Amino acid sequence: MIIENEYPPYFEWLLAAGINPGALWIWLLTVFCLLVVGLLASFIVLTARHGPAKAGDLIFKALAGVANDVVHTSPRRVYALARLAVQEAIRRRVLVGFMLFILILLFAGWFLDPGRTDPAKLYLSFVINATSYLVLFLALVLSAFSLPADLQNKTIYTIVTKPVRPAEVVLGRTLGFAAVCTGLLVVMGVLSYAFVVRTLDHTHSLTADDLAPKAPTENGTVPPNRTGTTARHRHEVKSDQIKRLAEEGQAVTETEQGHYHEITAVTRDGVTEYRLGPPLGQLKARVPVRGTLSFRDRGGKPAEKGINVGNEWMYHSYIEGGTPAAGIWRFSGVTRDHFPNGVVLEMAIRVFRSFKGVVDQPILGSITLRNPDTRVEHLLENFQAKEYAVDQHLVPLELDNLEDPQGPKIDLFGELVSSDGELEVEIRCLERAQFYGLAQPSVYLLRREGTPWVNFAKGYVAIWLQMVLVTAFGVMWSTFLNGPVALLATLGSMVGGFFVTFLQSLALNRSLGGGTFESLIRIGQQKNLTEQLEQNFTSAVAVGLDKVTRIPLFVVSRVLPNLRELNDVQYVADGYDISADLLAIHLTTGLGYFIPVLLLGFLFFKLREVAK
Amino acid sequence: MNRASFIRKLIYLLLILALLVPLSYFSQPATVAVGNQPNAGDHAGGKLARMRAEYGISQANLGEIDPAGETIKLATLGLRGVAANLLWEKANTAKMKEDWEGVQATLDQLAKLEPHFISVWRYQAWNVSYNIAVEFDDYHQRYFWIKEGIKYLQRGSRYNELEPRLIYDVGLFTAHKIGVADEKHQYRELFRIDDDEEFPDHNRQLRSQDRRDNWLVGQEYFEKAIALVEDRGASIHAMNPFLFFSQPAMCQIDYAIALAEDGVFEEKGRVAWTDADDRWMKFGLRDMPTSDNLIIHLAEFEAVQERKAKAIEDLDALAPDLRDKMVAEKRNKLSPEEQAALNTPLASRTEQEHQLAADASMRMLVRHDEFADRVDEAHRTKARELASEATRLEILASVIQRDRDVVNFNYWRNRCKMEKTEPALEARRLMHQAKADYDEARLAQARQKYEDAFKHWRKTIDEFPMFVDDAVGGDAIPEALAGYADVLKQLDEPFPRDFVLKDVLFAAMRRNPMALPLDYLRASFEDAPPGPEMPRGQP
Repeated sequence: MIIENEYPPYFEWLLAAGINPGALWIWLLTVFCLLVVGLLASFIVLTARHGPAKAGDLIFKALAGVANDVVHTSPRRVYALARLAVQEAIRRRVLVGFMLFILILLFAGWFLDPGRTDPAKLYLSFVINATSYLVLFLALVLSAFSLPADLQNKTIYTIVTKPVRPAEVVLGRTLGFAAVCTGLLVVMGVLSYAFVVRTLDHTHSLTADDLAPKAPTENGTVPPNRTGTTARHRHEVKSDQIKRLAEEGQAVTETEQGHYHEITAVTRDGVTEYRLGPPLGQLKARVPVRGTLSFRDRGGKPAEKGINVGNEWMYHSYIEGGTPAAGIWRFSGVTRDHFPNGVVLEMAIRVFRSFKGVVDQPILGSITLRNPDTRVEHLLENFQAKEYAVDQHLVPLELDNLEDPQGPKIDLFGELVSSDGELEVEIRCLERAQFYGLAQPSVYLLRREGTPWVNFAKGYVAIWLQMVLVTAFGVMWSTFLNGPVALLATLGSMVGGFFVTFLQSLALNRSLGGGTFESLIRIGQQKNLTEQLEQNFTSAVAVGLDKVTRIPLFVVSRVLPNLRELNDVQYVADGYDISADLLAIHLTTGLGYFIPVLLLGFLFFKLREVAK
Repeated sequence: MNRASFIRKLIYLLLILALLVPLSYFSQPATVAVGNQPNAGDHAGGKLARMRAEYGISQANLGEIDPAGETIKLATLGLRGVAANLLWEKANTAKMKEDWEGVQATLDQLAKLEPHFISVWRYQAWNVSYNIAVEFDDYHQRYFWIKEGIKYLQRGSRYNELEPRLIYDVGLFTAHKIGVADEKHQYRELFRIDDDEEFPDHNRQLRSQDRRDNWLVGQEYFEKAIALVEDRGASIHAMNPFLFFSQPAMCQIDYAIALAEDGVFEEKGRVAWTDADDRWMKFGLRDMPTSDNLIIHLAEFEAVQERKAKAIEDLDALAPDLRDKMVAEKRNKLSPEEQAALNTPLASRTEQEHQLAADASMRMLVRHDEFADRVDEAHRTKARELASEATRLEILASVIQRDRDVVNFNYWRNRCKMEKTEPALEARRLMHQAKADYDEARLAQARQKYEDAFKHWRKTIDEFPMFVDDAVGGDAIPEALAGYADVLKQLDEPFPRDFVLKDVLFAAMRRNPMALPLDYLRASFEDAPPGPEMPRGQP
């Protein structure tokens, strides 16, 4: 699985993570800065209108009012307002969105190809993304139009004339709409999971002819025994499994498209029939223990990373074969309790050949285990690299002593794992001038197999968070903008949230082809991203304008939530458990945005005359 | 007020009705018969429908209609171009990040969005078969992705039935990507046992084991592409017609070569080469349009040359000494420097003299029409006819010669004729067996077979001397020479001075010295060609 932005454990992320000062402190600093800037701007504007004394007084009163509102917010009134929002959402045909989702599921088969290499990944990505976009759209429309419509129809007076505080109106609306979308999300989630399971479910035909020995080709190659075709694929049945089937009546197929089937032989009236069970191993939720990766270069010295073999994407770092170069993972929490039956090591590495070598032979490598404290090490095995597949190796509790086969076995936890549960795993490539590509998530210890539907639900938590944030933004903008403008502002926040990384690259001048204005010129002149712009007045103006706009872009890119980062679809689709740490980080991030956006909403609504 | 409103609405209604007239004229759909049964109520439709039918660009004319694709097109609300751009970018990013599942899914969406954009199919199929396939270390996976690219093209050809380039590419990928790669032995074997039902025409029921060869399947697709051009008037756009039309015959040649590499000789090999020869000659006699607006036959170069020579001979016969006289006159008009340059022996000329001599030679050429104009009045009309014919044939011959080089016509014609002969087939069979003996360390047998093979090859070369200085389409002969030298070295024997293929050996030493044990060979041949020069800076 590819993890480009890996998060540290929750508390490290929150308080301090390596050279990063910790998310909490960054959040506090950002909120403080924004508050100071906001207050200063308000003070300047109000001073111009009323003089400094009055300005200070007004600001103080506004802040005190918000604080008072927040402190005296009544859950009962918020609940009542939220219930009103729910009723309003239902009245505004929110269920149309749900019907649309059903329609998408009904016709999804037209657009999804079950013959892909990993259909489970394709289907999971599809349903999660479809749900996500639909729910976000609903949240956007519901939240942006609600308050402006009430203001326009004057129905807001039926609420504000009651003893409710503005903060309660804003919070009630936000929670109400979020509750409606949550309900929809839950139903969509259940239907999506059922859709995925149902669509992936299949079996294959298998006859005695399929299992009979095949005639070899002119070159002596014997075609494999395979099942019938279903969902555009078939499975090979190896000769040892055919033998097992004949002897025990049970066997398994080879894995294809990420799953396999169990075969049962049933003999009735002297005729043997073969039945294949449902697909197995298709939906997974591996719970990995991830380590930290360090490198050793070809000279045997510690290195920050390996070699770049010329790939544009530098995710994998390569180690040279036939030299001391190695990738070394250090795992923590390796205890007998967590791994009572031995340690399962899984890896997904890349191979780069500087020459073809023997075409039909994989590149050889070695796995060595080491105790980080005592430096006692043990060669687990030499292996053949498998690319784009999860390659599993079992480390038994007692390992054979390769140096002294007659001697006592090596105790994994006694000798190779340190007393504080740490273990080093070293991967080397053994063939000269060939390379292995490694990244931190390439090698991990499989702690257990999680429950796929639970993981699926965790994936939906991330969508839920996105939805809550979009709702909060929508309500916040709608407190002082009219419906269409609030919709555009929320849409802008949402799109910006999905492209935060791009906005940051623009703000920091790291985007190829320059900023907005330079790009406009390039489009007009049909120049590519790397071509030098002509040095003239127009280009100078464009570059100057880009410099000016970088400042607001920087602020926006730092303030908007990174909605893409809040998406865990990749974990679910690739079959990896969304860890509690990651979930907690996402929830905290969501909360970190939710509170200030809500407070801004209170403030804006309070400043409107209608609320006074 | 109400009346004004009523009148306004009436005007709107009239305007709408007025707009319906041109709309109907332009956009009325055609009503067509179901199947082949003509229907009395058939209507050709509006202007646009008729134009679509005329140019063959209606959806139904182009190929299959995909409801999913049409839905996506509608769903993009006119932003199809933007969506296609985004998907293109997404596919490139997915490829860069090695997200192959993402690449596949994106390409599917892209194809649904732009099913008639041929470049999408061709470019992305190439991307999959050539660029993505090589990213995998396991050749089984590489083969899978090569097939994915081919299937993508096949899907494209279903939506674009009149597009020969897509079918041509299916042939090209099937033939060349599988048959020319470093892993060709593995790929060809996988192809042979492949029973993937997604690979059209490739299941066991439709194709016998004997015909499950990538070159033969490729050949069929090339023939289908040609049939589209010939029978349905499809265009090959900017593709070179000589390459396009030569492919079925080239596939047959490559098939015959591949059989030899697989160790299949005797009748099957002979039949394959005979078929290759027939096909190549048939290609040579095909009407080929050229960029000069001529129709030529590549096989008729020699006949054209003969006719040209005859025309010139007849022309010269009308005024026997005139040509020499005219050449002398032209020579006298040359400057002293040019004359001096012409008089200097070729080897002694300076660069400037070479240039002067070349220019002078050009100016001394007697054009046929010039010649005809100087012929006696009585024969002038006849002379002009002959001059015109000679000029036409000269142009034709030069065009044929130029276009022959595009497909290396002469080489392959001679090769097909040579390879189907008994000595050539026997020589190749023995070389293959000798290598097998050598690999199994049966040195005496290997030596004997190599020597027998070389004797047969001698007969072949004597009949086709143009192949002395040629690798004969591969490494088989240099490999056999190197293998034979290795056998002798291991037997502690010198390379025989009276080696039967000495000329071939020397040619190979000049052409590919690194493949042969030069020092060992030079010990037997003092007149052996010198070794390769070491690049500068090397020890």
